Amino acid sequence: MRSLGNIGYSKLVVLFVVLGLMSGCDSGNKKLPILGERDWVTKKVDGKEVTDTIYNVIPTFTFTNQYGDTVTEKIVKDKIYVTDFFFTSCPTICPVMKRQMLKVYKEFKDNPDVMILSHTIDPEHDTPQVLNKFAKDLGVEGKQWQFLTGPKEKIYEIGQKSYLSAAQEDRTAEGGFLHSGAFILIDKEKHIRGMYDGTTEEGTQKLIQGIKSLLEEYKK
Amino acid sequence: MIKKLIFSLSVFTIFSCQSEQELKTEQYFAEGYQIYTMNCANCHQADGKGMANLYPPLAGSKIIQDKPAMACIMRYGMKSTIEVNGKPFNRPMPANPKLQELEIAEVITYVNMKWGKDSIYTPIATVTKALIDCVER
Repeated sequence: MRSLGNIGYSKLVVLFVVLGLMSGCDSGNKKLPILGERDWVTKKVDGKEVTDTIYNVIPTFTFTNQYGDTVTEKIVKDKIYVTDFFFTSCPTICPVMKRQMLKVYKEFKDNPDVMILSHTIDPEHDTPQVLNKFAKDLGVEGKQWQFLTGPKEKIYEIGQKSYLSAAQEDRTAEGGFLHSGAFILIDKEKHIRGMYDGTTEEGTQKLIQGIKSLLEEYKK
Repeated sequence: MIKKLIFSLSVFTIFSCQSEQELKTEQYFAEGYQIYTMNCANCHQADGKGMANLYPPLAGSKIIQDKPAMACIMRYGMKSTIEVNGKPFNRPMPANPKLQELEIAEVITYVNMKWGKDSIYTPIATVTKALIDCVER
């Protein structure tokens, strides 16, 4: 404490300004982290031991979209995408999430590098026809934003294991399902690069920034 | 002397009535705003404009003036198509069995003062009476 006192007020101010500038620069160029569980393997390359990190990767999938077309992981090949889980008759957080996702959609509309995949967690009710009408009523046309349905266990499996997002049936929850309000950002290598709160404006703005910074990464 | 007393008494009563009405109106509006934010704004939005063709607007809608209908829809939900400002909406609205009659009256007050033409509160009696003969919608 004594040494701090000796520095003097003006020097302290300078110190904080410098620190502030440093952290400012830092956040400007910060790369998004890779999220999820990871593993390490050691292998020999040219006689030397090299350790490789294996990141959580989104596996292959097969679902059906709002046009009744079969959709696999090929649809997001060489694209970055945002994904979430919802159901059309949801009375709680989904309307907010869809309102927020609409902002993301409008921000990156017609950008061929960006897609949105929204999975229903109530496939029994949310058939392709139901999803088609929902998308239209939301004002979404074209194929940039896909509304996906499929076998319930496959949807829950990819949600829980790959996208690290809770999605399950729960008769006691309002609407009958429990799910998180997360928007998940996936890069071209199929790594999770960000998870955002899709029920808030703050989370949505962070996601938009995240997408922009990820797009920048691929420009280089 | 007695005439004067009666006059001043009646003046007093009128003013106290008015201020009680104003007070209740303020209370209903404030409470109604909170209940609306918690239970309705998810779909109908904080600005009452609804969301695209999914959820109908309340602002500018004539239906909000039909208070018995409002009370019944809030309590029991709604499944049929409703036309608002010339556009059909057919997503079901869930029932809100937890909302008390007072709370329903407060939401009706808030909605009609905010987006309708009301300047005073809607009393509980209106809601109580409406809920007796609700029809399935």
